[in-house]
Amino acid sequence: MPVLPTERDPAPNAIAGGGQSAVSRFFARPYWIGLGVMAMGAVWLWGALGLRQGARYSAIGPGLFVTIIGGGLIVLGLLLIIQIARGERFEPQDAEDAAANAPMDKLAFALAVLAAALPIVLMRPLGMPLTAALSFVLVCRAFGSRRLVLDIVTGLILCSVAWFLFTRLGLQLGRFFPPLGF
Amino acid sequence: METFTLLMQGFGVALQPINLMWALIGSVLGTAIGILPGIGPALTIALLLPVTISLAPESAFIMFAGVLYGAMYGGSTTSILINTPGEAGSMMTALEGNKMARNGRGAAALATAAIGSFVAGTIATLLLTFIAPAIAELAFYFRPADYFALTVLAFCSVAVVMGRSRVRGFISLFIGLGLGVVGIDAMSGQPRLTFGVMQLLKGVELTVVLVSLFAVGEMLYVASRFRRIPGEMVAVKGNVWMTREDFARSWKPWLRGTALGFPMGALPGGGSEIPTMLSYTLERRLAKNRNEFGHGAIEGVAGPEAANNAAAAGVLVPLLTLGLPTSATAAVLLAAFQNYGLQPGPNLFTANPALVWGLIASLYVGNVMLLVLNLPLVGIWVQLLRIPRPQLYGGILVFAMIGIWGLSGSFVDLILMTAIGLMGYVMRVYDFPIAPVLIGLILGPMAENQLRTALQAGQGNPVVLVSTPLSATFLVIAVLFLALPPLLRRLRSAS
Repeated sequence: MPVLPTERDPAPNAIAGGGQSAVSRFFARPYWIGLGVMAMGAVWLWGALGLRQGARYSAIGPGLFVTIIGGGLIVLGLLLIIQIARGERFEPQDAEDAAANAPMDKLAFALAVLAAALPIVLMRPLGMPLTAALSFVLVCRAFGSRRLVLDIVTGLILCSVAWFLFTRLGLQLGRFFPPLGF
Repeated sequence: METFTLLMQGFGVALQPINLMWALIGSVLGTAIGILPGIGPALTIALLLPVTISLAPESAFIMFAGVLYGAMYGGSTTSILINTPGEAGSMMTALEGNKMARNGRGAAALATAAIGSFVAGTIATLLLTFIAPAIAELAFYFRPADYFALTVLAFCSVAVVMGRSRVRGFISLFIGLGLGVVGIDAMSGQPRLTFGVMQLLKGVELTVVLVSLFAVGEMLYVASRFRRIPGEMVAVKGNVWMTREDFARSWKPWLRGTALGFPMGALPGGGSEIPTMLSYTLERRLAKNRNEFGHGAIEGVAGPEAANNAAAAGVLVPLLTLGLPTSATAAVLLAAFQNYGLQPGPNLFTANPALVWGLIASLYVGNVMLLVLNLPLVGIWVQLLRIPRPQLYGGILVFAMIGIWGLSGSFVDLILMTAIGLMGYVMRVYDFPIAPVLIGLILGPMAENQLRTALQAGQGNPVVLVSTPLSATFLVIAVLFLALPPLLRRLRSAS
């Protein structure tokens, strides 16, 4: 289980090097974040290529700001990588209900990500109430709830009531249950 | 005197029965979300935005003000009773407040927090009442170059102050700036960074980014590190009211906390974390009985709580007078103004006095309401904490989904929700500040617009950007923000 180094509870093998797995190096020295920031910068720079940097009357065109942002992201990503190489430490943020030093519960995390991503696939075909209820059940499961039937019933009631209420308040949430056409 | 007349007109708006009802709804909602973990005022206002679009702007902002102030009252309750500060601003309250509750003085701690918040909120609102019009008056003389320099200053201070590392602060800011340029460029009409996706032409909505970062990111983070044993709640014991001695020890910290909180809240990047910390340190230094600190000293609750509330009112000064958001909540309030086609700034005071003064008057009203709602009813409020966590976080995701899907029914927004939610998770694990993303997203387009207008007026000569005394001053301060901390560190290590 990868442990993040923190000031309060420094993981003995996280930064010191030697004898640690590739996975824990990946988490303790997140070079990938620096690369990700640089990749975003590259995409923005590439996007700026097709835009005019200058303009006849206003000196700068729509592209200049994008170029500055893209260049800035690349420099910042590089700086982060240098910091990580020099042994920068990362301390997880505190949150209510979360133990910052706790090891990551991968199954719970995967279930929660699934719950968040589910609507991408299901929102259109199944409609908001059922999709949201499914996500609700998945989150409950991720947080350790074992009362599946109760969670399904709670989720269906909560999401149906929320659909009616918010539709009445003027939100466009789509049809209640598209497969049956209402 | 003119301000007084305008304020009275504001009370005329705020005291209309319908607006009193919205203030009450906002206060109740704010207190509830302040007590509940995982959901804060910025997220709540973002989720309310699409629902309030059919309301009159006055009513909507009066409700938002209730949410903003209410969340702070609720936050102090959880800090004191279960030692879980919901936000950075109530961290200091938890230090002494929870000790007091454990010593059987929970009621006195809650009372000094609530009354201190009331006193600070009222004084800070008074200051806002008289300072804001003066600044707005001044802002009439701002030229585009001044505005551009001011946003650059806001960017630098936000990125430097809000995080623990400047590099990470700036990465957050630039991600926000980057998301801000997506969509049709307002000046040339050209699409930027849309990759041929139709739904991206209108740009990336602040609501989508905010809800994804705060609700989805937080839910993922807590799920991966869930503390199964919830914090232990201390029962409220003792008299509901404070003793004469408690009052004698509290009133000075209230005033000192207000004096620290209001100006620091008004500064870009000041937020509530620094003034509450300063207030706590100050009270400990000034206390006669210094040994009591760490074991439940009432001064350590009174000061930071007052500072926290005063800072929240302070944040409204740059927002209302200059259109400059300095916190995540202020960013979403700015988005709310834009939803109504309003631009905060000096013109708002003349063009829409009913809204501005109604909002300011409602802060006084909301403070009274919150004092009444919170002091006697605290026992009812803490019942909210009995909601089991799995269902609570499940519910938060459901509301996040409704908020995002209900905006425009866009499939792309749902993809963004997951992607930005994952980014929010990574930012929490590796301690990147979140507010700079939102401030970059909403201020970036404004900064670009001012830059282009300024350069247009100067016929492309970049010297125009530093040609006014104000713009030059702002830019110098911005550079100082960047250069001073490492310079000081070097000096300290040298000596």
